[in-house]
Amino acid sequence: MKLKKCIYIVITILFVTAFYTYSQEDSHPTIDNTVFENPQRTQALFDHDSHNEKAELEDDCSICHHVYENKKLIKDESSEDSLCSECHFLKATPENSVPLRMAFHNRCKECHFESNKGPVLCGECHIRK
Amino acid sequence: MHAFINFIMGPMVWISFLIFFLGVIFRLYKMFRLVNKTENFIYSYMSWKYSLRSIFAWLTPFLPVSTRKRPVFWGVSYVFHVLLFLLPIFLLSHVVLFEESMQWSWFSLSDSVADILTIFVILALIFFAIRRITIPEVKFLTRMSDFLFILIAALPFITGFLAYHQFFAYQYLLIAHVISGELMLILIPFTRFFHMFMAPFTRAYMGSEFGNVRHAKDW
Ligand code: HEC
Ligand code: HEC
Ligand code: HEC
Ligand code: HEC
Repeated sequence: MKLKKCIYIVITILFVTAFYTYSQEDSHPTIDNTVFENPQRTQALFDHDSHNEKAELEDDCSICHHVYENKKLIKDESSEDSLCSECHFLKATPENSVPLRMAFHNRCKECHFESNKGPVLCGECHIRK
Repeated sequence: MHAFINFIMGPMVWISFLIFFLGVIFRLYKMFRLVNKTENFIYSYMSWKYSLRSIFAWLTPFLPVSTRKRPVFWGVSYVFHVLLFLLPIFLLSHVVLFEESMQWSWFSLSDSVADILTIFVILALIFFAIRRITIPEVKFLTRMSDFLFILIAALPFITGFLAYHQFFAYQYLLIAHVISGELMLILIPFTRFFHMFMAPFTRAYMGSEFGNVRHAKDW
């Protein structure tokens, strides 16, 4: 009898937690992380348009979507039709010494530190539900 | 808040490492000076052969007889000490941060593996604390400061575990994690954590005395 009771309790707890996690599954916009092999963290929080509106970055897309030629930054040109992963690879290469993860982290965190706003700790971007 | 986080995750890391390394060099220098001044006769029987023999005997799990008499304590102790070094060095988030500041990285454990190993470290420290309370001959030798050092060693692991899971107060727990890690690093040279550097010298001395003077093994 006791065992049966235990099993019921365990199953109830499992269902409640499952339901709770499911209902918590809110759709924060995030940056796709499927290019990383076996991602270790949750997708980073980033609501593109609202972020850039709040941070007043709408006039200059090239702050993030930059263009390089022969390792030289080309000013006044932007690459918003490309993903970062088209130029930044998982490991540093001769053409691009900045690996993808570092490209994201440096771009995002450097500005947040400089402007004293925005997330800088791992779990503030890689949120667990 | 950003400036503070930037400080503890930036300059303070290097300041802690600097204090750690200078402290270790200073302590070793003081030890050698003391030996040369008051006990330099030990050099007459110090030997590389017996020193290394003793160090390797004590590094080999369960080779020394006394470790085989208390296999649970020594088993936990071996694994604990290995993890104490491996976990922080090969933790993904530490490697990520190091790579971003030094453009250099190395192998890292997957987060789920590190998570389980962290639980082991915390349990091992709880085990050490309980042992000090329950075993009479250990309790007799235990002072309050022993528990304090167990706590100081446990803090980076507990705060790191809680922060990683983002259970509550994430930002404060991560800040506590960073500071407790730096505190531990700074304390190593000046407290009994220094046994990690003294151990090889203790073994070399014991091994040489047992080998050259008493003609016996010291394990
Ligand atoms: C704060 C940095 C930042 C700024 C400023 C920014 N973006 Fe983006 N944008 C991103 C990131 C990050 C992605 C996701 C890229 C990825 O997944 O590789 C993205 C993706 C995009 C994409 C989708 C790309 C694709 O191929 O799927 C478009 C389109 C885009 N941005 C347009 C713009 C425009 C237009 C502006 C200027 C008004 C702009 N962005 C400003 C960071 C930024
Ligand atoms: C058209 C190709 C291209 C695209 C698209 C691109 N990058 Fe880059 N990026 C480069 C090159 C080339 C470098 C220079 C690498 C080097 O010095 O070896 C670079 C350098 C960087 C750097 C280091 C220099 C700096 O500006 O601080 C960061 C950070 C960076 N990229 C982030 C990003 C992010 C984030 C995205 C996507 C929003 C992105 N990049 C998209 C080509 C690109
Ligand atoms: C050029 C500066 C800059 C860059 C680059 C930047 N941010 Fe931000 N970010 C800000 C500022 C400023 C805020 C604070 C906005 C506010 O709430 O006033 C912010 C806020 C945020 C927030 C809080 C929620 C929100 O949308 O306001 C998130 C999440 C975020 N940034 C993610 C990112 C990510 C991910 C990247 C890299 C792809 C990034 N940011 C790059 C300036 C930047
Ligand atoms: C400002 C936001 C931000 C912060 C803070 C941040 N990251 Fe990221 N991280 C990103 C973005 C953006 C990506 C690339 C897209 C994605 O993963 O969704 C990324 C990718 C990664 C990846 C590669 C993908 C994966 O999941 O394996 C790892 C690992 C990672 N971050 C770990 C960390 C760690 C560890 C920290 C803290 C030391 C950290 N991040 C802090 C934004 C952030």
